[in-house]
Amino acid sequence: MTFAPDRFSSRRDTFAFLVCLLLSVAARVAPPAVQDTVARAVSSTALAPLLAVQHQAELVKESRSRVAAISVLRDSALVSAFAAHALEEENERLREILQLTARLPVRHVAAEVLHQSGPNSGLMVVLSAGSDEGVVARAPVLVAAGLVGVVHSVTPRSSVALLWTHTDFRVSAMTLDGSVFGIVAPRRAEGPNTMMLELSGVPYQERVPIGTVIYTSGLGGDRGVYPRGIPIGHIVAVGEEREGWSRTYVVQPAVHPAAVSHVVVLTGPAIDLREAFAEHAR
Amino acid sequence: MSRSRERYRLVAVLLLLAVLHFALRPFLGDFRSSPDLLLLALLVYAIRAQPGQAAIAGFLVGLVVDSLTPVAFGAGMLAHTVVGYLAAWGKAVFFAENLVVNAGFFFIGSWLRDLLVLVAGRHMDQSAMVWQLFFWSPIKALTTALVGVIVLMLFRRWLPIRITE
Repeated sequence: MTFAPDRFSSRRDTFAFLVCLLLSVAARVAPPAVQDTVARAVSSTALAPLLAVQHQAELVKESRSRVAAISVLRDSALVSAFAAHALEEENERLREILQLTARLPVRHVAAEVLHQSGPNSGLMVVLSAGSDEGVVARAPVLVAAGLVGVVHSVTPRSSVALLWTHTDFRVSAMTLDGSVFGIVAPRRAEGPNTMMLELSGVPYQERVPIGTVIYTSGLGGDRGVYPRGIPIGHIVAVGEEREGWSRTYVVQPAVHPAAVSHVVVLTGPAIDLREAFAEHAR
Repeated sequence: MSRSRERYRLVAVLLLLAVLHFALRPFLGDFRSSPDLLLLALLVYAIRAQPGQAAIAGFLVGLVVDSLTPVAFGAGMLAHTVVGYLAAWGKAVFFAENLVVNAGFFFIGSWLRDLLVLVAGRHMDQSAMVWQLFFWSPIKALTTALVGVIVLMLFRRWLPIRITE
């Protein structure tokens, strides 16, 4: 290592640094509407070609997995036993999405998830479908196993979804028979891969057995954000009790966002979807 | 090598890293541990740039990152600005010619960026932040450093960076 004092920062460098810092702080404290406008403007202009590249790469990956799956079918059973596990998982996910889209009685759009690499990427993701495909803000995002999140902002070619891992995420929830209602929100992380949800506000006298599947309740009717009947997760433990008034339950989420590569975005009214997920639940 | 040719080659490498960041993303596996090529481009640029230029480049990279994941808009800009500035300043004070030092430089840059994003964003609960900072971020920093070393090795003739083993 060599000491190189001749390249210390000049006044001009310090000035540029301070200006960038001030602009960053201004962006951080700007009203959400302004932040969204700037983010949308950048995404739909300068970043549009790069997101298109990532979308094409996703399609290439998908095509490759399909071609490879065909090759695997042709190859011996021994080879497939070694190599096909990941492809089978990928195909299974795609098949589930296709089956789900056939069952959904409401308008919807399929989209690829374009994961990014920052430390926040587990909280929001870019989707390959935008307003050109009918996606609107606050549209629910789901997979065959259940709820993934909600659309946060939209550009013509892409959209950003807020995932259930985000601290702002809330959804009104219920048991399948509608006997217990509560609010589901993210719970503190209990490990690098064990992000959980919690069902809170359940009246003290109501008991929810371990293993009970929790669904969206459809609060707000067909004008609400989430339709009734999308699986959120299942109860794994009783959490805190609040002075004899209410209980909190720990919910194992139905979907882990890091494993999601394809999603469905609902674009129609929030009608009851319990039937669409009944087959998956069985 | 003339200065203009040197500059064109640096720009070409940076553009390549930016495009690969998006083109390779689906093939790199878990996004929490895969290398961040945009940050790597910023750090490679910062090695030879003046601190002010690196701060501006960091601000622009942060704008891109925040636009793609607007969880805490502005936190990414702030983090990348500081990392860009400090990286250029640090390289100015201690000019590293060693591959291992460069790998450490990429590692620290990546981890520091994550720390600043999370602190400036304040959008994660404490336990999730601890797991992110002490489990996922070091893995990401490690993969980013590894790719950084590969990039330096591959483009050692193109990048105006002196490297000794």
